[in-house]
Amino acid sequence: MYCVQCGVRLQEGAERCPLCRTPVWNPGEVAGEASYPDQLPPHYRESSRALAIALTVISVMSIAVILIICFRLYGWLKWGGYAIGAILLFDVVAVLPLWFSHPRAELLVPADHVAVALFLLFICVQTGGNWFLSFAFPLCGISCLLVTALLFLLKYVRGGKPYILGGFLLLLGGATVLIEFFEHITFGARMFRWSLYSLGVLALGGIFLLIAGMVPSLRQSMRRYFLY
Amino acid sequence: MSKRWFRLDTAGLIFPAVAHSDWANVFRFSATLKEPVDPKILQQAADDLRSRFPSFYVRLKRGLFWYTLQEVRKSPQIREDYAYPLTFMGRRERQTCCLRILYYRNRIAVECFHSLSDGRGGSVYLLSLTARYLERKYGLSVPAGPLVLKAGDPPSPEETEDSFLKNAAPAAASRGEPRAYRLHGHREIRGFRHLTTGILPTDELLSLAHRYQVSVTCFLAGLMARCIMDMQDQEAPRKHQRPVRITLPVDLRRLYGSRTLRNFSLVLNLGVDPRFGDYSLQELCTVISHQLAAENTPQHMAGIIASNVQPQQILALRLAPVGIKNAVMRLVYRRAGECGGCINLSNLGLVRLPAEMAERVELLEFIIGPQLSYPNNCSVVSYGGKTVISMIRNIRESELERRFFSALVARGVPVAIESN
Repeated sequence: MYCVQCGVRLQEGAERCPLCRTPVWNPGEVAGEASYPDQLPPHYRESSRALAIALTVISVMSIAVILIICFRLYGWLKWGGYAIGAILLFDVVAVLPLWFSHPRAELLVPADHVAVALFLLFICVQTGGNWFLSFAFPLCGISCLLVTALLFLLKYVRGGKPYILGGFLLLLGGATVLIEFFEHITFGARMFRWSLYSLGVLALGGIFLLIAGMVPSLRQSMRRYFLY
Repeated sequence: MSKRWFRLDTAGLIFPAVAHSDWANVFRFSATLKEPVDPKILQQAADDLRSRFPSFYVRLKRGLFWYTLQEVRKSPQIREDYAYPLTFMGRRERQTCCLRILYYRNRIAVECFHSLSDGRGGSVYLLSLTARYLERKYGLSVPAGPLVLKAGDPPSPEETEDSFLKNAAPAAASRGEPRAYRLHGHREIRGFRHLTTGILPTDELLSLAHRYQVSVTCFLAGLMARCIMDMQDQEAPRKHQRPVRITLPVDLRRLYGSRTLRNFSLVLNLGVDPRFGDYSLQELCTVISHQLAAENTPQHMAGIIASNVQPQQILALRLAPVGIKNAVMRLVYRRAGECGGCINLSNLGLVRLPAEMAERVELLEFIIGPQLSYPNNCSVVSYGGKTVISMIRNIRESELERRFFSALVARGVPVAIESN
């Protein structure tokens, strides 16, 4: 039995040519033995559970040691609060994803931002500063919104990557101006010292990506250059 | 009794470093017998070969500074094939045993993590296993030879040596190569591999290659390059195209007279740059043949060996923990390891078996898995008047296979196609 398109001889009982997918019509022929069984291998995924356990144990022990030292030496937390906060932040950002077999970045990124915001709030309260609500909190919020939206769109929207990335760069450019504005109202710094430069560069990149999304030949050469 | 261990050879060092959560470099060699395989006897044969092939019955052990291969106490448990060859060999499996022995109907197959050995070493193991199986089943005595080692003989130290270290030149050859064209397509889910096997008469393939006045390897490489050039023509205008180069593994044992069963092969990226003009199949075959002749010399290969050996001698790298070494090797491999070629074409050549085996072995097959950065690979072995060309891919599109096998048919070579 031969494929009428490719001219190759096919396995007995083949329904389609494996090369060109041309259907084979041969009603009298009995299916031959398959060269491989049907059973698929069990789905395998590398687990990082051991590393997660080790890092968690190290974190817990470090926190215990810091608490003992601080309370024995000073009778209160003193610098231990910062150290413990940093360890907990590390745990949320680096160790938490290791506990999941399928970590979902679009959920973990907001968790990371919440952890960072809480740590900054702690530092702000400890140092008696008044920069959290007017600077650190909006900064964390903007970053969280932008990165989560980007991850979500890249994961769940099929195609249109140049538009998503282009839009992200444009929004990021706008966000830098906002950040400078928050810096201005919190610390009294002069406006438009640096943000217009970053806005310009990011807007140029964003517009280029949007154009690439609209021009197929440009999109193809970018794919070839960056991906293949 | 303490377990033996081996250092990874120069070529094998890279594979644990670049393996990741869904890719590991594994290759496969299989022999199809004329009757169904008895798994119990196959397990006994595998047990018998343990002392003869100490560097195959090993697991990958990660130390603080280096990976090592540590002998395992028990032979791997043989098992049935899955729906596709070269299923993912994960970290846990590599830490248990880096060798798989499989069977399905009449076929005995061996899948081997590349840090253990290369295609030639793997073929020696598989053929020795098959010989031992036939001896146990039929009470035959298969004579030892270069491809079949006897189970009872002691292993020689030469068989487990790292021959790269002995044959490096004092100066290293340059690694710089332009980025070649990348084949691409839609990835299969869950790591499925499509295997398309073309079986063709060796004498007709040989006479076709001789018509182009080149060897079978150079002819197949030329034909593959032609097919890839045609595919690239459909994607981009000539002036924006990338070089089309076929990666040909070269067995260095013949060049340097080595008897090692560990890795001792290197790859050459041979081909043309389509931006300079079109090439006919005859021109492609001639160019590749001349490039191969010019580069496959002991002196040039010694320079390439040196470029692999020299980084191992940098003190800072030697003292670095294995995690840092891995990161460096991954970076180097991504930048230089595979960028110079479009596809591997590994030809093991003509295999001749002892008469006692030949009358019971129907077909030999050699399969290399897809690379880290390109989705198709091709391997060839000839035995018993049949040449088996195995093309594997991890993408859905079968365009390259269609063009390649159709081109052979169009030139008068009958091709029988099998697929999983």
